[in-house]
Amino acid sequence: MAWALPATVFFLLFAIVPLILVAVLSFTSWSGLGDPVFNGLDNWTKLFDDPVMIKSLWLSVLLTGLGVVVQTPLSILLGVWAAGSQRNRAVLSAVFFVPLLLSATAVSILWRSLLDPNFGVPSQMKWLFGDGNLFGNQSTAIGVLVFVAAWQFTPLHTLIYQGATRAIPEVLYQAAAIDGAGRVRQFFHVTLPQLRNAIITSMILMIVGGLTTFDTVLILTQGGPGTDTTISAYYMYDKAFKGFDYGTGAAVALLLVVVATVISLIVVRVSGFDKMAGTQEGVS
Amino acid sequence: MRQRPNYLAGIATLCWLVLVGLPVYVMLGASFQSQSDFSAAGPLSWPAHFTFDNFVSDFQNGFGQYFLNTVIVTVCVVAIVALLVPPLAFAIVRNIGRRSTRSVFRLFLLGLAVPAQAVIVPMFYVMSQLGLYDNLIGVILPTAAFCLPVCALILTGTMREIAPELFEAMTVDGASTHRVFFQLVVPLSRGGLSTIVVFSALQAWNGFLFPLVLTQSESSKVITLGLYNFRTQYGTNVPGLLAAVLMSTVPILLVYLFARRALIQGLMGVGGK
Amino acid sequence: MKAPARLPRALAAATAMVMGLSLAACGNSDSGGDSNTFHVLVYGDTGNKVEKDIVAEFNKTSKVKAVLDTIPGADYQAKLQTIINTKQAPDVFFNWGGGSIRPFVKAGLLQPLDDMIKTDPKLKSMFVPTVFDAATVDGKPYGVPMRGTQPVLLFDNKKVLDSAGVQQPKTLDDLMAAVPKLKAKGVTPIALGGGDKWPTLMWFEYLYDRIAGPDVLKKALSGDKDVWASPDSKKALAAIKQLVGTGAFGKNFDSVKYTDGGSVSLVNKGKAAFELMGSWYFSQQQDSAPAFAKDGLEYTTFPTVSGGKGDPSDLVGNTNNYYSVMKKAPHKEAIAKFLAFMYSERFINDQLQIGNLPTTTNTKDALHTSTNATYLNYQYDLVAKAKGFQLSWDQAYTQDNATQLQNAIQQYFNGSIDQDGFIKAMQGLKTD
Repeated sequence: MAWALPATVFFLLFAIVPLILVAVLSFTSWSGLGDPVFNGLDNWTKLFDDPVMIKSLWLSVLLTGLGVVVQTPLSILLGVWAAGSQRNRAVLSAVFFVPLLLSATAVSILWRSLLDPNFGVPSQMKWLFGDGNLFGNQSTAIGVLVFVAAWQFTPLHTLIYQGATRAIPEVLYQAAAIDGAGRVRQFFHVTLPQLRNAIITSMILMIVGGLTTFDTVLILTQGGPGTDTTISAYYMYDKAFKGFDYGTGAAVALLLVVVATVISLIVVRVSGFDKMAGTQEGVS
Repeated sequence: MRQRPNYLAGIATLCWLVLVGLPVYVMLGASFQSQSDFSAAGPLSWPAHFTFDNFVSDFQNGFGQYFLNTVIVTVCVVAIVALLVPPLAFAIVRNIGRRSTRSVFRLFLLGLAVPAQAVIVPMFYVMSQLGLYDNLIGVILPTAAFCLPVCALILTGTMREIAPELFEAMTVDGASTHRVFFQLVVPLSRGGLSTIVVFSALQAWNGFLFPLVLTQSESSKVITLGLYNFRTQYGTNVPGLLAAVLMSTVPILLVYLFARRALIQGLMGVGGK
Repeated sequence: MKAPARLPRALAAATAMVMGLSLAACGNSDSGGDSNTFHVLVYGDTGNKVEKDIVAEFNKTSKVKAVLDTIPGADYQAKLQTIINTKQAPDVFFNWGGGSIRPFVKAGLLQPLDDMIKTDPKLKSMFVPTVFDAATVDGKPYGVPMRGTQPVLLFDNKKVLDSAGVQQPKTLDDLMAAVPKLKAKGVTPIALGGGDKWPTLMWFEYLYDRIAGPDVLKKALSGDKDVWASPDSKKALAAIKQLVGTGAFGKNFDSVKYTDGGSVSLVNKGKAAFELMGSWYFSQQQDSAPAFAKDGLEYTTFPTVSGGKGDPSDLVGNTNNYYSVMKKAPHKEAIAKFLAFMYSERFINDQLQIGNLPTTTNTKDALHTSTNATYLNYQYDLVAKAKGFQLSWDQAYTQDNATQLQNAIQQYFNGSIDQDGFIKAMQGLKTD
């Protein structure tokens, strides 16, 4: 047990203790000038009366949900295809992973200048983008965020599905072929059921990643137009480090942890994923 | 293998390639143009006159310092992770029967769901109390801590693959736990080790939130923060900015060329931020 | 990757590095404990050249040395607020006056400068009064101007105006009349970086000042929330609505940014006619489109509004930046001597060199030497003659209101909230 001690202590110190402190801070009022002052449930009652907060939670869930809906089919399709044998796979995969190598900061900066309404892609494709006011409407701004997240993370999920597809025994396909199943039926009756664990893994990653999206919102939309893309993580940052209301920021942070944990637990429970042996498939 | 090529997926892949290629093309194109050329021709242009001025001016604006800081942070984070995680995974795998071990493992599993954003406010408070605010150490420690859960998961997975007979054979020979660890477990989990090294390196290299909140001065700025501040500091020099973006990815691309397998395995952990 | 055999060596190196870092960190962290220095904290950007030079010059003759620290970029205010009450706090620091220092005054952290001014009256008398006043809180002076003034001006592309047969607008009606003419030419009448939110605010600042007069904001800041619902305020809001409604800003202004060069390019490429922006716009255009900046860029004051309450000479913008002094700062006499450099000739020439316009009463004598003399002279006269100089709203209000203020501005401008929604949002801002 001594072997596990250093890592556990380190983790407790720099991840769990701050988490406990978040809980404590969420019951205080602290503006950075002076010391935190205990103020009971004030922050919490304020929060639940705050329309922007309620909206931000909803937006976080929406963005996460859209991320799952967009990325899952796409990455399954790409992953299954990449698991096959093509001649030019090396070249493809080389280009393929570039988005994953870039920091979210870099990705956001790149897409921001690409999507400029007057000089970027929208100006060249008016039939698709109209007046190019992508960051001026809630729906299109959310669309951009979902797209950029998909652009960055689809390769990762593609990898997961590619690995999982390769692990499916060929025998199953042969059996299905003998039963007269075509390609489409093979996909739905053999491939998809076999990918169950990979789908769960990738979904947990998407959910946690989606709920904690921050860099892209900060750089691409600043939570705008108005508060239309102010998701919880950004709202927390804004409250704490722009509004100097660290107590409320801490309360939002705690809420975020609770939501992320609950959702992850539900996914884990529903899928029977907490059998420790199962955790490895698709992860490494 | 499978029968005919799958056209549908093939077309999807091609579209995806175009989408991936476009920003890369813009980044390359803009980096080698002067600002006035770029604003005259727009972001979709290829440079008419190649110039390296953007890179030069980035270095004059302190890019070298940011680069060095990022390297320091990355090396230290990787070192901490590489020191702490193997013994942890070893303990978990060997003693999984015990209740204490199981609760430690659960703690780290729980950690998977704790986003870094959640602890950023008290982290700031803790670091300023410890006098580590605006200091690279203040960035290194939490960054490493938040790599631990994923790395622990990856490495326990790798170590669990080691056949129990091997352990028994060594124990019968009277080998100490230390010897078992260094002569058997470490060599046999090489794949997992390189995965966690790459994973934590990527996390540290691309990390943004901790530096954003925990540092302030020029001398402790990392690349991602440099990119973010670049816009507010030097007006609207997009080519200069994209040149800096390009330079920030070059080291990773180099690693990618030389150690692709390890990198891809490391990437698999990235989504778990 | 790394073979296990080589891991220990790498670890040893890394450990050494960590140790080295810790030592270096300990070396830097004992600021303020030094008995013979005071620390000056400044917003980090290209303007630091001057601050460095002035500090060096001061240190030549002073026993007590000034040490210059910087915090780069946009986070300055947030970081300042977080360290100002810790051991790392500076002794003298850069700020925007107004709301940016009010919380610190309220918390009793700042030194009123009355005594210093008694000893050295020039600390006040050498500066343009409207500028100096923007750093007074509750009637006491807390800041000495230390960079340059940045009034907001209306810039335009002369070629575009000519081709549409439009003159520089003298009144708001002129501007309204120019909109359809410019639209007929297929250009956006007014470029606006709405994606950044703060450029939109400039339109509010000027239209409120011209129509409702400068008192609205004064009253609002002193806690009178009803003033936002006054007839004057509503008149200004109606004018804003009308201007946006004519399509003066095009349709996609919220996706355009100033900070990535979007709106700047619109103007220099002739795709837009006007842009309302701070005086730094001139050098921005010199960087982006040198040829255009030389012969196609014009500037003028914001149009007047007939029947409005504001004075036509009123300006809005960043009046200047200021040095404020902490109560706990040591060596107050030395600091006063340091602040006296802010009206020295060396300082003025340094600032002019990098295109800043200092606001001392003797700035004008030095102007003929600078490269953009015409432009600087024009600005200086505006500032010197201005009856009122309204600090940008987001600086006049305390910083913790910034997000709410900017969101309200953006939402009213793009029509997602109505007049009442805007009034309610403004009434919700915190005043003390």
